[in-house]
Amino acid sequence: MLSYLCRATSSMKTHCFNQKFFHSSFPLAPVQLPSHQETHFWYILPNEVKNASLLNQYLELLSPHEKENVFRMRGEELKKGALLARALVRTTIARYQVNPQVSVTSLKFRKNIHGKPEVEWPHNDDGHQPLLHFNLSHTSSLIACGVTMNSPIGIDVEEKQRTIKNNILSFARRYFTHHEVELLAAISDPEVQRQEFIKLWTLKEAYVKALGRGFSGAPFKTFTLRYKAAAKGSFHLSGNSNSEASEITVDSFENASDFTSKWQFAIFELAGSHYAAICRGIPAEAEGSVPMKLTVWKTIPFVEDKRVSGTDAVVRIGGLFD
Amino acid sequence: MAFATGSSISVTSISCSFKQNQAPIRFSSLNSASLSVNAKSFPSLRLRTGQNRFQVSCAAKPETVQKVCEIVRKQLALPAETAVTGDSKFAALGADSLDTVEIVMGLEEAFDISVQEDSAQNIATVQDAADMIETLVEKKSA
Repeated sequence: MLSYLCRATSSMKTHCFNQKFFHSSFPLAPVQLPSHQETHFWYILPNEVKNASLLNQYLELLSPHEKENVFRMRGEELKKGALLARALVRTTIARYQVNPQVSVTSLKFRKNIHGKPEVEWPHNDDGHQPLLHFNLSHTSSLIACGVTMNSPIGIDVEEKQRTIKNNILSFARRYFTHHEVELLAAISDPEVQRQEFIKLWTLKEAYVKALGRGFSGAPFKTFTLRYKAAAKGSFHLSGNSNSEASEITVDSFENASDFTSKWQFAIFELAGSHYAAICRGIPAEAEGSVPMKLTVWKTIPFVEDKRVSGTDAVVRIGGLFD
Repeated sequence: MAFATGSSISVTSISCSFKQNQAPIRFSSLNSASLSVNAKSFPSLRLRTGQNRFQVSCAAKPETVQKVCEIVRKQLALPAETAVTGDSKFAALGADSLDTVEIVMGLEEAFDISVQEDSAQNIATVQDAADMIETLVEKKSA
């Protein structure tokens, strides 16, 4: 399907950016910036995006460099996934209309000192950079973008049915901490064990991505994630209705970070098909365990947006969040 | 840059891709060091202990590259028409971080080596993996 999309990265098409050529003239619905307690989570399902002219529309949003990266992916589905990922990030950030000088196509990205992607805003007179943070994650069947204000965020999504080639406990012994291995080893049902493994993986990934120091900055063996029942003091596994009160915490064996020492986690089932994990930093002075205010939208940019938090598309598994 | 004086330091992997973070040298229980350097214009380097100069070697043996390609192909369940070569980037083949870590485990088993966990997540191409393997294999038999 992407084979007849225009490969040329010439600037001609970009300058001819004109609403009436597009499949859809539905504009991006503007959204208020999340408050400091809120986390916004946007996702798209690639299987729902098949229209070639819509895909072309998305392609025209990308920078030349991004287009090159899309076409470097090997195979049509991977190209489409890469395209949708960039289109999702650009359209999501553009909705917040942070800076009138910046449009969905003129948004610039860069990597921070540790390699984490961030927005490069034009310099204001006062040199103040907006505090919008984002993080992207994708699988072949779902692509997601998390957004916060003024706090680092990491997200990870995995298909619920994801299997690994290696034996789960061998893998866990190799890469997870002792406590985490014990948690998994205590599960006798292999299917439940596999699910718990995937959930743990997504939480650990989300944490490392929130830290933003790159994978070598926080190897998986250097921190332990635990589920705690917020009301009682005991550990218990997630996956049932008792998980409402569970809090997820991280114990790091090294100094975790420079400027936030508290991390907030949420993990939920998304669209019936995926596990999604979010990790965000909260200021050290924040009191107690504050629930994360989470809003989730399913989107096909320029076509439809649907707020799905509070529906059965979002089912809490662990962590304190509304 | 790292210097080998006699056999005091042996470097297990130097990546030739540009890294933005300076990772400290970590010493594992195997007495090996994993070092990432900002080396954007350097070809693949291997330090040989016992020598007082760098020796710029050619890339890993074709058989090693081939074996890595097979393992990658299997892990990612790639269709036959997708070509996998030394230049192939894992990300471009659709590998996410879980795939990459699994690939490394597969390489450890196939070559009977032990890869440092942070190196595991740093390899970007088949060639990176093959070079790392050969350095580790050589170190083992040294």
